[in-house]
Amino acid sequence: MDDVAIRAERLEKVFGEGDVQVRAVRGIDLEVVRGQVALIMGPSGSGKTTLLSMLGAMLRPTSGKVELDGVDLARLPESRLPDFRATRFGFVFQDFNLLSSLSALENVQFALNLAGTTGRKSRERAEALLRGFGLGHRLSFRPEKLSGGEKQRVAISRALANEPSVILADEPTANLDSKIGHEIARLLRNAATEEGRSVVIVSHDTRLKDIADRVLWLEDGEFREINEMAVDPVCGMAVERKPETPHYQYEGQTYYFCSPEDRDEFAAEPTKFIPDRG
Amino acid sequence: MKRVPVGRRNLFAERRRALLGVAGVGVALLMVLALDGIFAGAMKRVTAYIDTSPADIIVSQRGVKGMHMTSSSLPLSAVEDIRRMKGVSRADPILFETNSLKSPKARALSYVIGYVPGGRGGPVTITKGRPPGPGEIVLDESAASKLGVSIGSDVSTLGRSWKVSGFTGGLTNIVNTTAFVRFDDYAAARGTTGTASYILVGAESPAGAVAREIEKETGLTALPRPEFSREEAKLVRDMSTQIMQIMTIAALLIALAVIGLTLYADTLARLREVGVMKALGTRTRRLALIVLSQAAWMAGAAMALSIVLAFALAAVMSRAASNISIEVTAVSIARVAIGAGVVAAIGAVAPLARVARVDPATVFRRQ
Repeated sequence: MDDVAIRAERLEKVFGEGDVQVRAVRGIDLEVVRGQVALIMGPSGSGKTTLLSMLGAMLRPTSGKVELDGVDLARLPESRLPDFRATRFGFVFQDFNLLSSLSALENVQFALNLAGTTGRKSRERAEALLRGFGLGHRLSFRPEKLSGGEKQRVAISRALANEPSVILADEPTANLDSKIGHEIARLLRNAATEEGRSVVIVSHDTRLKDIADRVLWLEDGEFREINEMAVDPVCGMAVERKPETPHYQYEGQTYYFCSPEDRDEFAAEPTKFIPDRG
Repeated sequence: MKRVPVGRRNLFAERRRALLGVAGVGVALLMVLALDGIFAGAMKRVTAYIDTSPADIIVSQRGVKGMHMTSSSLPLSAVEDIRRMKGVSRADPILFETNSLKSPKARALSYVIGYVPGGRGGPVTITKGRPPGPGEIVLDESAASKLGVSIGSDVSTLGRSWKVSGFTGGLTNIVNTTAFVRFDDYAAARGTTGTASYILVGAESPAGAVAREIEKETGLTALPRPEFSREEAKLVRDMSTQIMQIMTIAALLIALAVIGLTLYADTLARLREVGVMKALGTRTRRLALIVLSQAAWMAGAAMALSIVLAFALAAVMSRAASNISIEVTAVSIARVAIGAGVVAAIGAVAPLARVARVDPATVFRRQ
């Protein structure tokens, strides 16, 4: 049996027509097997969100296909997509995107309800998931009363509730401090390793490379080689080592930046951004 | 199949907004209930004289089927003719017209009834004082209070002055009151001889059959008392229906505006969450149910509030204003509940349309 959970073939998305036409995603091929974590990195506007929306069956590609467990999502009628999203995908967002009027428990139960699990069964499943993530004492808390790390753990519980084939995570560590970010990264890794889920992460956070099986660099709607990458010392984003990337020489070493503003900020006081000299 | 009650949670998550919305709709529905109640109370009192009369049949001029805004004149000789008929135990004439009672302090619109002392047309109860003697009048105590008169005071009506001899009760409504004088005094004041307005008949046999016999023999109109009361109520109701409808629609429109605006504001505030729900796999149908349940909870809570307030208002009004009685009936509650349901459904239309347009892919956009 094919071990690929999600596959994109010659995936293309074009917005607008004529002079205002934008090719956001250009003929992308991607395969993520079960138990694998794929990290997609790239600058803002590179097409990451568009790609994620298409992989998650929220946006129809202009051409190409997205196959999930062998089913071509691009050919599925609109009416079947919600059920697919509810049962085959788990979503984790940068802003957590928990439903503010529901408790932590109800947020997870809500996802279970969408897949047809209701009543006591949904409660027990949600409770078990949250307790497993150390949130047993926060079951009745609404999101506003939870810390960032707790919110993201609830979101991951929600994403795992229906035992999906694929977890799509959009900047899952962006709003979290370093320690909590590591913890969330570990949970996503476990979802792949221990539960056999395919995890696709879109992020600027280079720390996530540590848990990724594959790192893909997306730029101008296409995957590029990622062997020549550097970390912007100002914002922490991964950037390409190439002549046109804003860069700065300091004490015999070349530093690369995601924007000229970051380069100028660095140039004004380099020691502030170099840990062992700051 | 118990699901997470998202609609209810959404509504009550922000308690202050929910409370204001429910209170707004509740007060609007209270207006409808109170109007209905005041009308029902008034209707009850409008026919109180007829309903409490010991007569079994009321005879009037041919074609006349009520008293309100009506004139009836029939020959006094008909009283004797009716008394002689089979199945009739007694027949008492009354004179009647709508006039105003005036005191130095105020005036009040009144049914003025002239009855034969010892006959059946007078006040059923005398709460204070005594029945009218020559040149005397009995007033309803609420009207007396409004006119600022007591026993022994003078009031004028029918173009002359009368001394108050006693009080009766339960015959004043939001529109008018009822006063009683002696038949002869009334006739003299109006210069009428040999006529009556109505004849109150006691029947020994079934009233319907006796009434038909009276109509056949005299050519007058004769109706059993309950039927005469219904005709009277119908006349008053027909005259008031339009204004009641206008006021009811106005109140329901206020409720609609409050429900619609509250739901729409809440929906706009939660558009991103709607996108999240869609992204997670919520169908538009389920989202519609969430919005509708939110509307239903709001209307239901407002309805409960309005019922409690209506009963409280009825209790307060019965103490504060004896001429206004609020009758909160099951029929009225059912009618307002249906109205609230319709208003809630209409109020949910705009939020539903907005929810349907939300693109699930918005969840990946930064806030």
